[in-house]
Parts: sequence; C-alpha cells; structure tokens
Amino acid sequence: MKAELFSLGERRRFERVVGQLRQEIYRYALWLSRDPTVAEDVVQESFLRAWRGFKGLQDEAKARQWLVTIVRREFFRFRERQREETMDPGLLAEIADDGADPLVQELRIAIFALEENYREPLALQVLMGHTTEEIAAIMGLTQGAVLTRLHRARDKLKQAFVEDGTLSPENT
Amino acid sequence: MTTKLTPEERRRREAIAADDARFDALLESALRIDVPGARGARPPGRRWPAAVAIAATLVLAAGAWLGLRTEAPVYSVSPLAPDIIAHIHHEPKALVVTARTLPQAELDGVLRRGRASLAGPVGQVSYAKLCPFRGQMVAHFVVQGEQGPVTVMLLPDEHLTEATPIDQSGFKGTIVPIEGGGSIAIVGQPEEELEDIRDRLLRAVRWNL
Repeated sequence: MKAELFSLGERRRFERVVGQLRQEIYRYALWLSRDPTVAEDVVQESFLRAWRGFKGLQDEAKARQWLVTIVRREFFRFRERQREETMDPGLLAEIADDGADPLVQELRIAIFALEENYREPLALQVLMGHTTEEIAAIMGLTQGAVLTRLHRARDKLKQAFVEDGTLSPENT
Repeated sequence: MTTKLTPEERRRREAIAADDARFDALLESALRIDVPGARGARPPGRRWPAAVAIAATLVLAAGAWLGLRTEAPVYSVSPLAPDIIAHIHHEPKALVVTARTLPQAELDGVLRRGRASLAGPVGQVSYAKLCPFRGQMVAHFVVQGEQGPVTVMLLPDEHLTEATPIDQSGFKGTIVPIEGGGSIAIVGQPEEELEDIRDRLLRAVRWNL
C-alpha cells in the first residue's frame, strides 16, 4: 500500500513536472527531426526513459534541460537506425502552414532548411529558453561555438528573409 | 520557392531584420509550431496523445531507475567575475552580431539611470539595458568588437584595487578599477582584442553619483 502511494505521488510529480513541457518538447523534437512521425516516436520513447530516470531528477528546475538531453540522445539513437535522413518539402510546407502570418510561415520553411548545427541551438535558445551555457552543455560545445552558431543561424535566416527566400528547401 | 520581392516589400523586410527584437519575436513565433492534439483535433494516425498515455501508464510498472542526476554548482562566496558571466548568460539576445547602432538617446537614458555617462566615443553600441546586478541597478551595454559583441557593465559600487581578468565559460575579459572608485567589466570572445575598447572606456566613463 505504501509503495502504491509512493508510486502515485511520483506519477503526479512526473505529470506536473514533465507534463507542462510536453508541447515544447514535441516542438524541439520536430525541429530536430523535421518529421512529425519521427518527432512523435522520439518523444514517446523519451517520456518512457524520462519516467524510468525520474527519481534521479533531484532539482525540478533542471527538468527542461534534463528532458532535452534525453530527447536529443533518443533522436540521435533513432537516426542511427535510419539509413538516411529524409526531408519532404511538401510535408514541411504543410507543417509550416497552420494559419500563421505568411512571414512566419516563410521563416519556418527557412528554419527547416538550416543545417542541423544551426537549427538546433536556435531552437534551444529561442524556443526552449536555454542560456548559451546550458546549450553548450547539452550539445557538448564551448559557449563560444554556441554563440558563433547562433549568430550565423540568425544571419542566414535574415539573409533568406530579405533575399527572395533563398534558403527555402528547394534551393538547398 | 524563390519569389521576387517588390522593392517596397524588401525594404519592409530589411527593417524587420535590422530590428533584433522584432526579428527575434518573429523567430519565436515561427518556432512555436502547432502541436498535434493541442488544438483539440489531431490528424489521423498521429500517436502523440497515445504516447503520453502509454508513458503515464507504464510509469507505475517501471522498476528500473536510471541514475540521472543534475546538481547545481555551489559557491560559498559570490565572486564578481562569475556573477558577470552569469549575468551575460541571462541576456543572450544582447550577444548578437549586428550592424545596428543603438540611438544615442536610448543609450544616454540607460547610462543616466545607471548613474554614469560617457564623455567620449566608445565604439558602435548595439544594445543597452539597465540591469539589476548584486543589488544595484547598473548600465549594461554591448559594443560591437572586431570578433563579435563585447559586453560592458558599468559598476559604480564595485571597488577593486587592481584589474581582474575574466576567463570563464568561453568568455574572456577584464574588470578594471576606475580612479576614485567603481569599476568597468569588459567581456568578449576569447580572440577579441579588448585593449582599445578598455582604453576608450577608461577615458570616457564618468560616474553621476
């Protein structure tokens, strides 16, 4: 009985701590994979792994970075099993088109077309709110390298933004 | 999907791209892509909500625990250099390479509220903000250096006897005392030559205490 109560308490804590991050975690996985089905699979597996390791999460304030690390590891594990990375421009355009402002949609397509080493730190900073120090820890880089990638990512996006959408997938 | 922009549209976009805050807001909107299931309806075949349900169900049965731990660093004292680096980390938007120059009136306003002023040019200032730092409001601004952004913090309440180097977390810099009290923190990329900016600041900074 005591064990059941403990499990229930842990489950509630898990749902409270991890549950509130579901949407952001899914978005992060989608920006990593550029494929909704892969993102869903990666998130599913990551949540299972997160639960198994949840007792080890001592500081709930670090849950976001902890989960991101799990998702990232799971994504690279998933990709190793794939023969090659695929990107369907039609599907990406469909994802980008959710009724948002046309400029936002266009920027999404440009972000999808960014190289992964620029796309990921950008998502971690702007979407997930991580500091450069946290991004460096997550990606195994120096902070200087993170800053460089963030600057270049923005530069590339701005260039595409003002120069006729030259970063769109058909042109890469 | 190459499209030909009209000159007017191009100018509009250039204005957005030149405004870091506006461009970042657009970027954030772009990254906040729709999540399946979050709007109620979900596309057929999507397994996202099911994944969460499975995870929630399996949690009670899971018996294996991975030893993943996160530990916060503990400092018995709060030295100035780590506090400066920590402050820089909390304002990543300031660290953008840009051709933008902050309007002088905006910079002057931040300096005034930070109890300081500049009696001469210090370089191209792209960002300035009044920030809480160790219990005081201080002027924090960014000068575009040769290698990237250089963070400057004017610290009228921090009194040092000698210059203190900063070499931490991929940043290098110095905290230099000002004759009569107070100090200036100058932090940039490791390869940045900070001497010119430091000397210009030492000549220009005045306290309005």
